[in-house]
Amino acid sequence: MDLIRLREVTKEYRKRAVLQNVSLTIEEGDIFGVIGQSGSGKTTLLNLIAGFIEPTDGQVVYYPEGSTKEKDLHRNFSQIKRHIGYTPQHNSLYPKLTVQENLWHFGRLYKIDKQTLTTNIRNLLNFTHLFDYRHFLSEQLSGGMQKRLDLSCSLVHKPRLLILDEPTSDLDPILQKEIIHLLQEVNKQGVTIIIASHHLESIENICNKVAIIHQGKVHTHGLMEEVRKPYLKDHFTIRVRSVEQKQLLIDKLKVLPIQKIVDKGNSLVIYPSNIENTMANLLKIIKEENLFLHDLDLRRPSLNEIFEKITTDAAN
Amino acid sequence: MAAIWLLTIKNIKLLLRAKWSALIVIFAPLLLILLLGLSYNTSNSFGIVVGVYAPEFTGDINEFTNLLKEEQFAIREYPESIESCISDIKGGSVHTCISLPKNLHVQDNTQKEITFYVDPSRINLVWMVQETVKSKFNIKSQEISQELTQDILTKVEDTRSQLSTQSTNVISAKEKASAANEGASSVAQKLQGLDLQAPEATYNTSEANLTGTLSNIKEKLNEAVVIVKDAGLEESKEDEVVSALAGPVNIINSFLDSGTGDLLTKLQTDLETVKGKLSAAATTVSSSAETLSTSTSSLQEVSTALEAMQNSINDMQSKLDSLKVTDAQTISSPFVTKIEKVSGERTYLNYLFPALLVLVIMFSTMLLGTTLVMIEKHSPAFLRNFFVPVSKFTFITSTYVTNIVMIVTQIIVILGISLFFIKDTLGSFGSVALILFIGASVFTFIGMIIGYLFMSEETATLASISLGSVFLLFSGVILPLEAVPPFIRAIASFNPFVLTEKLVREVFLFGAPLSQNLLDLGILAGYAIVLFVAILIMESLLHKHLVHKFMHRHHVFHRQREKQMKNI
Repeated sequence: MDLIRLREVTKEYRKRAVLQNVSLTIEEGDIFGVIGQSGSGKTTLLNLIAGFIEPTDGQVVYYPEGSTKEKDLHRNFSQIKRHIGYTPQHNSLYPKLTVQENLWHFGRLYKIDKQTLTTNIRNLLNFTHLFDYRHFLSEQLSGGMQKRLDLSCSLVHKPRLLILDEPTSDLDPILQKEIIHLLQEVNKQGVTIIIASHHLESIENICNKVAIIHQGKVHTHGLMEEVRKPYLKDHFTIRVRSVEQKQLLIDKLKVLPIQKIVDKGNSLVIYPSNIENTMANLLKIIKEENLFLHDLDLRRPSLNEIFEKITTDAAN
Repeated sequence: MAAIWLLTIKNIKLLLRAKWSALIVIFAPLLLILLLGLSYNTSNSFGIVVGVYAPEFTGDINEFTNLLKEEQFAIREYPESIESCISDIKGGSVHTCISLPKNLHVQDNTQKEITFYVDPSRINLVWMVQETVKSKFNIKSQEISQELTQDILTKVEDTRSQLSTQSTNVISAKEKASAANEGASSVAQKLQGLDLQAPEATYNTSEANLTGTLSNIKEKLNEAVVIVKDAGLEESKEDEVVSALAGPVNIINSFLDSGTGDLLTKLQTDLETVKGKLSAAATTVSSSAETLSTSTSSLQEVSTALEAMQNSINDMQSKLDSLKVTDAQTISSPFVTKIEKVSGERTYLNYLFPALLVLVIMFSTMLLGTTLVMIEKHSPAFLRNFFVPVSKFTFITSTYVTNIVMIVTQIIVILGISLFFIKDTLGSFGSVALILFIGASVFTFIGMIIGYLFMSEETATLASISLGSVFLLFSGVILPLEAVPPFIRAIASFNPFVLTEKLVREVFLFGAPLSQNLLDLGILAGYAIVLFVAILIMESLLHKHLVHKFMHRHHVFHRQREKQMKNI
């Protein structure tokens, strides 16, 4: 079921288009990634969806829960905003309030009754592993903890849509993983998530849908596999321990329906006729011949590769 | 040294490149000086209203008020009572009241008392007014003193002139009196020299009587002869009658010729002697009469001269008596001035307290209002508030209430502590607190508006202080507002500081009920409402812009940080 839809949205600043004709659909339950370089327009896109700014042209519509009747997000923002949770790049907390006070403050502003709010806060604190720190001032927390608290504040009123701008920036890899895991858990609870990030690995791991934006234009968007499809490779690369093993592998692969094998010294580049069949047989050969696999460059392109391809193509 | 210069240049560039900072740093002092220059570059007292009470506005009272008008004082006459004038001082519409006597003419030795009623809480104004008005009184006093002295001197001069005239008269009278004296002495001597001793001889009176009778008869017969002769009788008849009469005459002659003749001779001799003496006495009396007549004339003149002198003395006496003012003190200072304080005798702290209180409240609330808005605007949580289902009205009200809570605490502390120094003012605390509450609301909203207008906390604080200073400088606390031109004063009278301070002063110092000041209170409350609505409008117009700016700022910050991280 659709949650947010952007129709031909254009945003201009001083006659300069920051976003051009963007059309996207975010469905309920999605983890939607927006990726792009700095200055590509991803934050502008997020701000449009979050209601901070209005489009110069086009429309952003919102579908209320259990309804297919769309509402203009910006015209009805006062009603819609309570269903949105927003976590900006920087932490959006009161540094001089404790963890619990921050949650309580925002929860009460959403007019949640005290009993429900107490339960929500306890659950969130346990969920984000901040229960033991609930009496700490938020400024006393580490970066990762602050990010978790920030996320908790965005979730305290149980929004339908959670928007995150660069949630893993400024965090070390362990904390990044922690946050990613947390977001997956949040999504499991039925919250639709939109993430803007240039940490493509994070996006790749968590998002089911993605939009790649470059110079204000959405170059591709949709389910991760759909996005990848145009960029699928017609070959894969494999590297084994020794020359003997390499030769053995070449001999075994020759009987399979393969268009060509290119020997690149340490590695072999294989162009199969039927990729699924070849892959299955390859794994079987490796197992039977007890080959030691050093590296296997799969045919599925990474998000990073796709992104690089798009930006290179756009530059050319 | 080079580093200091480099950093200084950098700081100046940063300051000037922030538009509002540059505007505030450069133009705020210029504007302030310009405003002050335009307003106070004068020695005139444009707006001082002097209330004059007199039982009757006579010519000399009007003359005096005209003197004050020359000083550009506005004069308001109070013919009914001084109380209404005092009430206007408390209300601030009159700066000083002068209670004058019925007229300014000094008629006796009593000094004329002139009472000044001043509001001692307006210290800077009181002395100015008092000194200026008193100087006018001194001029008038000098005039009257001069008049009195001139009057005395004129009368003394008249007396002197009259005395000089009378001195000549006295000399003349003296000479005449001396002459009369001499005359009298001469008469006295002459009279003393008169021999009025009667002859000592004795006469046989019966003989004498007979002789006398016979002589008498003889004379009668002689007279009868004369009458007969004169009667024109015929000669015969005449002869017959004369001869008839001659017989008795002859008989008498012959009688007299007999022994009786000696006696008669003796008598005749004595008579002759007496006759001689009488003749001498008559001569003496005659000459004495002349002398006495001369003396009488002299004495008459002396009397006339003395009468003239007496008149002159009476005139001098009456002239001198007409001098009612003879007391040296009254002549030298015909007026005695008295200063009455309309609020009763108190300490300077009492007088300063309203201004100090409002000053503290104004700067506290304005800065606090600005700071609270800036804190919220710059708070990391600013964005999150964008999503909460809370109206702008609630947000603004919460900022206002926060400010008011802080200020109410301050007010309680200030008023509480002030009780130690300023006793017996507890009764007015309720009204004062209400006024301060409304005043604090106005200043809070002003501070909040500044907070919304400026992006940098430093600039906003500077703007708050600058605006507070403008309010203060145009409040009459530092320089009397009455010294500025009327149009600036008219604007300044709507200064919220002026309104609040005036209200607090009236309630605190004069114990005026709030009902007397509903207009000012209403204006203040009106300000608060208008400013609140202005903030609401401003917030509606600016909020998205602020959010956008906030996000942009953070976005730029993160981009820069990413770049730095990449470089590392």
